Amino acid sequence: MRKGLIIALAVMAFVGTQVGIGFAMGIADTGPGCGLGKEVWKNDPHTDNIGKQMLISTTNNPIIPLQAFAITTGTLGCKNSGKVWVEERVNMFAFANFESLSQEMAQGQGEHLASLATLMGVLPEQHAAFFAMTQERYSSLIKTGEASPIAMVKAINDAIATHPVFAQASAR
Amino acid sequence: MNSKPYVFLARRLYIALLLFLLLFAPPSLAGAGGPPEHGYLVELIDKALQAKLASEREWHLLLHYRENIFGGHTSEQDDPGFFMSPAGKTDPQAELDATLKQFFSEELVGRSNQPAQCAFIARYHWLQERLQFDDSRLPKLACERFDRWFNDFEAHSITLIFPSAFLNNPASMFGHTFLRIDQKGQTEQTRILANTINFAAYVPPDAGIAYPIRGIFGGYSGYFSTYPYYLKVQEYRDIENRDIWEYRLNFTEHQVRRLLMHSWEMGNAAFDYFFFKENCSYHLLALLEYADPTLHLTDEFLVWTVPADTVRLIASKPGLVSGIAYRPSRSNVIRRKREALPVGERELAHRITQDLGELTSPAFAQLDLKKQAFLLDLASDYLRYRSETADSPPLEWKERNRAVLTARSQLRTPSEEFKVVPFAKQPELGHKTSRAAVGGGWRNNDTFEEVTVRAGYHDLLDPEVGYTPDAQIEIASVSLRHYNRMDQTRIERATLANVLSLSPIDSVFHAPSWKLNVGMETIKHNECQLCSNGVMNVGIGGAMESRLLKREILFAFGEAEANHSRAYEEQHRIGGGGTVGMLVDVTDQWKIMATGTYLKYGLGEQSDDVRWFVGSRYTVAQNWALRLEYNHRDHDNDVLFSLQAFF
Repeated sequence: MRKGLIIALAVMAFVGTQVGIGFAMGIADTGPGCGLGKEVWKNDPHTDNIGKQMLISTTNNPIIPLQAFAITTGTLGCKNSGKVWVEERVNMFAFANFESLSQEMAQGQGEHLASLATLMGVLPEQHAAFFAMTQERYSSLIKTGEASPIAMVKAINDAIATHPVFAQASAR
Repeated sequence: MNSKPYVFLARRLYIALLLFLLLFAPPSLAGAGGPPEHGYLVELIDKALQAKLASEREWHLLLHYRENIFGGHTSEQDDPGFFMSPAGKTDPQAELDATLKQFFSEELVGRSNQPAQCAFIARYHWLQERLQFDDSRLPKLACERFDRWFNDFEAHSITLIFPSAFLNNPASMFGHTFLRIDQKGQTEQTRILANTINFAAYVPPDAGIAYPIRGIFGGYSGYFSTYPYYLKVQEYRDIENRDIWEYRLNFTEHQVRRLLMHSWEMGNAAFDYFFFKENCSYHLLALLEYADPTLHLTDEFLVWTVPADTVRLIASKPGLVSGIAYRPSRSNVIRRKREALPVGERELAHRITQDLGELTSPAFAQLDLKKQAFLLDLASDYLRYRSETADSPPLEWKERNRAVLTARSQLRTPSEEFKVVPFAKQPELGHKTSRAAVGGGWRNNDTFEEVTVRAGYHDLLDPEVGYTPDAQIEIASVSLRHYNRMDQTRIERATLANVLSLSPIDSVFHAPSWKLNVGMETIKHNECQLCSNGVMNVGIGGAMESRLLKREILFAFGEAEANHSRAYEEQHRIGGGGTVGMLVDVTDQWKIMATGTYLKYGLGEQSDDVRWFVGSRYTVAQNWALRLEYNHRDHDNDVLFSLQAFF
């Protein structure tokens, strides 16, 4: 399934960039813009459907469609209008790492979870509390996340906002 | 050799010609931003010529020029948009002049569609530094896209990443390398958020059987890309189950910036991808060389660039590597966690993955909290491993994983850190890629001396340090042998490819073992005393691991074989049979392998074959080993003692 997901991400962005101007080399350049993220969130996709639609390749190293991440498309280099990009980055991360996140939330620690916390602006000294919180709310967060990882991010955000320890962080 | 007046005259002529071209060239050539300040351009070109910038190493690194065998230069770069001069691929001077000229223009160039100052920002910075551009006469353009891209890296340092070899995918047989751009403030826990710089061939999804051939002979184009590291970790660690080694490189922030500027230029580049030489590793070395031009890396690779060799090279440069980190594959995490458990608990963890009812069993309930957490974590690792390696995993595995994790979350305790000791040491500790051997021995009633050269890479009896365990890839090997009594020198053996992968099976891992061999050997058969015999052999089977001595692998293959030799009636025979064998680590230095094979040939010459092999290796040093090998076939006994050196 993971296979499907990675391919979905890569291919989606590929398909997205093709909508712009296609170049002879097959590498399209959309100029600045979050090539990948933009396409992923356009329709708030249901991951399984996309996984199926996009399963046209394998993930073997040289075979990954790399257009999405070609240096000219600028998966980095998104319009850095502050919060929008930050949110997109969190969503993209949660979408791509949902399985690892769900495992680590249950385990109350892990690098994916710590990275998610960092992306969400949780301070390092609050990570332990963040881990405990996502472990405690595991069932409900995963239920939300299976429908949409983005909704899960939002649920975690809401939880942060109402949690006494993080009140400061979310106010940043 | 070159008298000054001539050079002087040549330069004057050259400048006059340039002036002429600039004055009378159609306006479009001068770019969209209005005509450049001709006088200043000529001044700069003259200054660059005097300083001989076009023959400097940095210019050659920027343009990826290589010296031709018979003089002159050619760039390895294959996208015309990368050059500002039509002659740029082979003419460093013309390219430098054209680049300077293009810096006066805002015309969008290259695949990335930017003004030359931004598209080729490393060139701009280097020339600016060397020629001291006057900003009022050559206005500096803002490069917002680059700035945004660069800032997003939050670059602090560089790490070379080496996912180890993965035999079950031919493209990954030798491992892979890419760079991770480490972020400021990054911790061990957040390094997956860093971005990477990766070079890979673009292979269309429907490549089919042409893929390996085109991949080897440059039929595909390779591009640079920047994946988030977390996607790479997923690909290598979770899906392909490859260990990852991370080498933190000692680059200053200035060098990191240089590397990124040149990487940005590479967004305009395309290289013909050659699997064996101009591959992922090769072009990364070129980036590192530009970051620190005192490093000479690509020069070391003439014929092929094996990723592990590049790691060895970089690790051998004094002070270049400041730290090494290991990231185990999921399958190795599972193996080590299982090893850490007593048998009863190991089985309990496995039963949980099959029957959730075990979670309420007394056996589980009586365990302390930490142990319960450990078993559930292992069960979840295993269920994920199964789901992510299967082609179409049943939904129930995923659901069972959810249930295990829900139970795990209710324990309300964080998992303790579990340190995974690698099964294979890091690649730079391993032997080098090519091997030469000299030896001698007896065959039947004759004696012989023998020389062998093997291009690559590793066989089951070679010193195992630094290599994927139980995996063999031999490519291009030739043995020349002289028989003393018969006074005959002949090609005794030749191997095109001999690949073998042993995957020990236990209650958790079920991957098959397989082998493939294409080559020739010398046989004694029927009336022929020494006859060349072409061999093609494929087999599939299973392996088991035990720990009676240090470590033993027992294996069995079912196999098919085709032979071609004038020794056979009808010149050929085709048949099938099987092999059983074992591979034993006796000590860290000493390894033994023994196999027995029976094959019955039903097509062509009707015959059968019984073979025995016993081989023993003793490691003398990282790149030196001794071998004693015994080969038996019907009325044919061969004993070979040899000294092997890796280079």
